[in-house]
Amino acid sequence: MQTRFDDLPIDIMIETKQLTKHYGPVVAVNGLDLSIPDGQIVGFLGPNGAGKTTTLRMLTGYIPPTSGQACVAGFDVLKQSEQARRQIGYLPENNPVYPEMRVDEYLEHRGKLLCMSRTARKQRKDIVTDRCGLSKIRRRVIGQLSKGNRQRVGLAAALLHEPQVLILDEPTAGLDPNQISEVRRLIGELREKHTVLVSSHILPEIEKMADRVVIIAGGHIAADDTPTNLRKRLSEHGRLIVDVRANGEALQKAMLATVGVKHVEIHTQGEWSQATITPDKQTDSPGMHDPREALGQMLLKNNWAVREMRYDTPSLEQFFIEITAKQDQAA
Amino acid sequence: MHQTLTIARREITSLFFSPIAYVVLGLFALGVTWIFFLGFVPGQQATMRSVFGLVARFMIFILPAVSMRLLADETRSGTLEVLMTSPINDAQVVVGKWLGAMGFLLVLISPLIVLIGVMEIYADPDYGPIITGFVGLLLIGGLYLAMGTLASAATQNQIIAFFITLFLIGMFTIVTMILGSMNLANANVREAIFYLNVETHYAQFNRGLIDTADVVFFLSGIVLFLFLAVKLLESRRWR
Repeated sequence: MQTRFDDLPIDIMIETKQLTKHYGPVVAVNGLDLSIPDGQIVGFLGPNGAGKTTTLRMLTGYIPPTSGQACVAGFDVLKQSEQARRQIGYLPENNPVYPEMRVDEYLEHRGKLLCMSRTARKQRKDIVTDRCGLSKIRRRVIGQLSKGNRQRVGLAAALLHEPQVLILDEPTAGLDPNQISEVRRLIGELREKHTVLVSSHILPEIEKMADRVVIIAGGHIAADDTPTNLRKRLSEHGRLIVDVRANGEALQKAMLATVGVKHVEIHTQGEWSQATITPDKQTDSPGMHDPREALGQMLLKNNWAVREMRYDTPSLEQFFIEITAKQDQAA
Repeated sequence: MHQTLTIARREITSLFFSPIAYVVLGLFALGVTWIFFLGFVPGQQATMRSVFGLVARFMIFILPAVSMRLLADETRSGTLEVLMTSPINDAQVVVGKWLGAMGFLLVLISPLIVLIGVMEIYADPDYGPIITGFVGLLLIGGLYLAMGTLASAATQNQIIAFFITLFLIGMFTIVTMILGSMNLANANVREAIFYLNVETHYAQFNRGLIDTADVVFFLSGIVLFLFLAVKLLESRRWR
């Protein structure tokens, strides 16, 4: 390999250092530090306008950063732009394609732009069309394809030269649930052979295929963890909801006296009171984070009727909204 | 080079996918034939001079319509992002686009060959001026298309690109002609302005003369405008 970026170990595929982009007075991306090892599938999340597309465009060399550095497969995206671009398969937002071309012609065109040899083009075209389920529509004009099929064409084109790094900007935008799960399956199949950075503003979509989720908001990284860990962090925010036939004040008093309960909020509706309980995580008592058993005994003792008791774990979605809102406030 | 030709090839095929291309080609062929036969009477000289001269005038209005979509359309549809993130440089994109448009220009003026064939049947044309005239047409067309490529890089609106091109061509034809024929105090300035007039340079070719100075004028003009187009495209990177 040619000169490499600093002394990065070979297995870091995407690396950014204090990557920043200003559009005039607007700061789109602010000091982003990201490091993605080889073979990882990373979900890149954020609300619209968080700086996802800007970051991806800087990585692919479409726009230069205002300051900071980025390197892909060991090549600086600014100083060794062409080498870096050679390692990247990129599916831009909205999947721009030439509508008047046939699927096969388009892939041929992209292959030539990548300087692939005739035999390599033929071979790889067969592989990617097969993989992306395009074999039957290779002769069709792209402009007449459904949105899902068009998306597959974009994906096939991005995969054409077997890039080490795949950068996909909102590949599932505007697709129906079936097509989304299909794209998800396709991306999942790329595991290990490619490093994938896939952006989205819909969390559950990413959660299922990514090894790691990076959430950005306001140009910063707001969270960076595995989907499982994110879930774990969520469960700590879990609250217990109990619906009891009892007087609100009496209920609150009794609940607060129960081991493992930190905070109780009561909503009374008729003779039913709904209590939202925040468990006490500090307590060392046997109830620990789960005061349900103690609560049950307490309710039984008071002879109060219960019609519901459940754990309310905020969905990743809520968590996402929460942390991105926090970032917006800080900004 | 290989990638430049790839872009040129795609450009020319896509040009033929737009219905406007056929309208332009049809009207042009019709107009040229009509003018040809107006002057095609016994006793006249067997030359293409007046026809070529008019073709050069037609191109002022036709070529901006050919070049307006070159880069503007790619910017608007977002396919420019695909091009610019492929391992190719901005100059390859610009030159490829311009070459594609040149290919269309070749198709556009090909009916002239048929007319020359007709002339051959009835008369004995002098091929010297015809060949130099053809070279001149390609050079003047290349220059207009280079101006159009620049205009197309400046905006994502094709209509605006059309009018910018028309304006640029106007500067080098009508405006310089009017200014050059005015009685300016300084003869040097007058001469300089007159030098910039495209049509005076073309007239030499049509007369059967290939003057290096004229060739240099056209080629440097083409290089200049394509260079500016590359710079404009690059400016996207620091805007």
